[in-house]
Amino acid sequence: MTLTWLGRAFLYVAFAGAVGGMLTQVRAVLTKKKAPALLFALWSLLGVLGAVGVMQFALITHNFSLAYVSANNATFTPLLYSITGMWSALEGSLLLWSLLLALVTIGVLWYYRSDASDAVVQWASVVLFSVAAFFLGLMMFPADPFLHNPAHVLQGAGPNALLQDNPLVAVHPPLLYLGFVGFTVPFAFAIAMLITGRVHDRWPLEQRRWTVLSWGALSLGIILGAWWSYQVLGWGGFWGWDPVENAALLPWLTATAYIHSVIVQDRRGLFRVWNLSLAIATFSLTVLGTFFTRSGVLESVHSFSSSTLGPLLIGLFFFSVAVGVGLLAWRGDALRSPVGVDHPLSREGLFVANNVLFVGFAIVVLLGTVFPLLYEAVNGNQVTVGTPYFATIAAPLSVLLLLMMALAPLVSWRSADAGVLWNRLRVSAWAALLVAGILVALGVRHPAVLIACFLAALAAGAALRTLRGVIVSARRRGHLASAFRAPSTGGMIVHLGIVILAIGIVVSTSYTKRDEITLATGQSTVVDSQFVTFAGFHQVKDSLEEATQLKVVVDGHSLRPAVTTFNGRDTTVGTPAIDSNLLRDVYVTFDAVGGNGETSGAQVQSNLPAGSVVLGVTVEPLLSWLWIGGLVVGLGSGISFLRRRYVEDPQ
Amino acid sequence: MKRVVMLISLGIFVVIIVFSVFLGTRQPVTDATDANSPLLGKIAPSFSGSTLGGGHWSLRAERGDVVVINFWASWCEPCKVEAPNLSTFAYQERNRGVAVIGVVFNDTVAGAKAFDAYYGSLYPSIVDPGGAIANDYGVESPPTTFVLNKKGRVEATLLGAVSVAQLQAVVKRVRE
Amino acid sequence: MTLLRSFWLWLVAFAVVLAIAVAVNPSAPSNSTRIAHLESLVKCPACEDLSVAESNATSAIAVRHEITQDVGSGMSDNKILTTIEAQYGPQILLSPSTSGLGALLWVVPIAALVVLIAALLRLARRRRA
Repeated sequence: MTLTWLGRAFLYVAFAGAVGGMLTQVRAVLTKKKAPALLFALWSLLGVLGAVGVMQFALITHNFSLAYVSANNATFTPLLYSITGMWSALEGSLLLWSLLLALVTIGVLWYYRSDASDAVVQWASVVLFSVAAFFLGLMMFPADPFLHNPAHVLQGAGPNALLQDNPLVAVHPPLLYLGFVGFTVPFAFAIAMLITGRVHDRWPLEQRRWTVLSWGALSLGIILGAWWSYQVLGWGGFWGWDPVENAALLPWLTATAYIHSVIVQDRRGLFRVWNLSLAIATFSLTVLGTFFTRSGVLESVHSFSSSTLGPLLIGLFFFSVAVGVGLLAWRGDALRSPVGVDHPLSREGLFVANNVLFVGFAIVVLLGTVFPLLYEAVNGNQVTVGTPYFATIAAPLSVLLLLMMALAPLVSWRSADAGVLWNRLRVSAWAALLVAGILVALGVRHPAVLIACFLAALAAGAALRTLRGVIVSARRRGHLASAFRAPSTGGMIVHLGIVILAIGIVVSTSYTKRDEITLATGQSTVVDSQFVTFAGFHQVKDSLEEATQLKVVVDGHSLRPAVTTFNGRDTTVGTPAIDSNLLRDVYVTFDAVGGNGETSGAQVQSNLPAGSVVLGVTVEPLLSWLWIGGLVVGLGSGISFLRRRYVEDPQ
Repeated sequence: MKRVVMLISLGIFVVIIVFSVFLGTRQPVTDATDANSPLLGKIAPSFSGSTLGGGHWSLRAERGDVVVINFWASWCEPCKVEAPNLSTFAYQERNRGVAVIGVVFNDTVAGAKAFDAYYGSLYPSIVDPGGAIANDYGVESPPTTFVLNKKGRVEATLLGAVSVAQLQAVVKRVRE
Repeated sequence: MTLLRSFWLWLVAFAVVLAIAVAVNPSAPSNSTRIAHLESLVKCPACEDLSVAESNATSAIAVRHEITQDVGSGMSDNKILTTIEAQYGPQILLSPSTSGLGALLWVVPIAALVVLIAALLRLARRRRA
């Protein structure tokens, strides 16, 4: 029982810190005094650290007096998966969320410590503390991670099979959560700006930095999630438009719009309402996404579930949006910019289109995600909204967004001069045409591939041209290194990453070839010009798992697709094997074994001779470009985060 | 201008309220899902075999009763959840023309017997050597439950752990 | 060369590439493309949200055989999908039918598109005013 009470005590301490911080900041801002926000943030952080410490201790020492540990850990769980067990289920994941929020809060407050008496910072702290208090409150009542397990169990269930197979479990959820949690900051500052009425001084631009950091983390988290699915789930796919995947995509879309839209506020003071709304929308969508993941109302390979959490999270969602909209309406006309957009095809005009495209994309994805619930409520039957719908929507939108990426960096502010644009576009246009021409000459006829590669080349051209301009002007000033921290460097690198990603997605999905082959031991065959040989069986048994591996050789490389049974959980999962290079990925799964071969759980097909196996072989060209593109995106956002402070921009 | 802002805000408010209330009142998915099997509406493949308790069981002998066939395995998590439910339901319906039979799916006999003993199943389960029965019924992963009407036609296929209430509702529908 | 002339030159080259792409088609659309497309639209009956193209479940394989047979016997895409839907229920399709409530799924994006165009037009008009 000690661990339960200790853990809970730390949670109460953290909660007290958050509530205390919230109350003292409210009093401070209303009486125009200063209050020690940092102190309360530290107090709350220490409480959360204590709680996390207790949980980690229990997991690492396999202490089953905590119900959470007995459900997600076992005596033979390796250290890494014990640690990551903290976020493999509902209650623990809230601990991770609270930890990251406490760290982000203290980081932001420390960064602005010299502005601690500024009303905007004070109101932002109120919001940050309130959100922290909410999530801590969730853990204090409906989702208690420190629930005591009265049964004296000697062995726990161990982590879910899919969560102890891959070290990515140590990186994907924390990055994702960092992204989600990070978006609380622009939201807090947006609310603060609306309350104080100071919507156009340094604060909107300051928020871009935090948003870029969160956006980068979220992007990396999503890409890693896709990579993980690809490696593990068995059909060579990496994105299923699953409700929980969509839940992560929604705030990403509005955050991307926000990052771009703030550039216009920086340059010309426009889009104040857009930017405030986007900041509020992004945070609200984060909460909505959390709702989809944790309430259990939508079935998903990802969802945890608890029926009490649903209404509470929806309550927070509603409250955030209501407060945001209410404040926007209250401030109303005072928010209007003194100037307007001069021409629809100027850079400002394209940014308007950009905002609308991203928000439209988000609305449609939300609609598709929620539609099954709506349908069931109206018709009583179940319906599925899957990849065909989302892909049909995403395709034209992606094409338009690629076009934006190709044109916007080259278009002028305030005016639209076709001559100037063509002059800047010329080299990229010829390069893109060359790319398209080569593809056509090679026999490529998929319209999606041709259009995407053409536009991607254009977009890459625009990014490279901008980067060249930055380097040239930095060199001219005699300070080459300053190019690194120039405003558009990070962004253009991110664009290049997106281009690589886009090509990877379009080519791999258009040219995937799937096949099921039956091979006897020692037999070979050719699948889509890849030479595949089955070399025999290999049994593996250790304290954690028992697996039947197949020795398969693809193009000279050795692969081990397997069927694995994990102890404790008693579930069997297929473990695919992948041979990857720059040009193509070969994805092999162990589908069935012939006769009544002994396996650790593979499907048996009695009409095949014993000793032969059925392999699923999928060949996907350029699939590795997705991960490379993702890496470049992460790199670019890191560089963008390090952008020099706005006040240092040469005028 | 002020009025337009007010109207738009009000409009958004209403949409968000409706949206939030709608989502907040959805029930989490807990029951087994109705799956669409190619066997629906067709006569169920007949099978027979030896039970874990040592006896013999044949589907043909159950003609005239509603039959609930539950494919399970000792290594399957949701099967552990539904085992007490199936026993409760089997016991309730034992004199009311409903037969419950379990079929062991891709499991060792020892493991199945241990599971059966641990959960004190109040209905028989038969062994499925080579997975022939599972193959006939197109069972991919346990637990999968088929409900046959009195004439032996498959009327419902459920994927996932079943609850007593769900079984009662389905059997009631099938009986008519 | 003036800017305008360089643009026309590029446009001509673009048109040439486009013409070649459209006219010179090395591989005609085949049955297998249709089958693959249809398979991506039908959900595997035993799975959460995988298409029959992606799943190796026996029920998925059965549906794939059915689709192959139907395409071979000359049924239209629409007829094949409606037959499968009648057999397995509406949730077998990965994209809900456009009649009834399903229409909402397409109406909203189109409405959003209309809003976008209207907003851009308004922006253009305001500038000219």
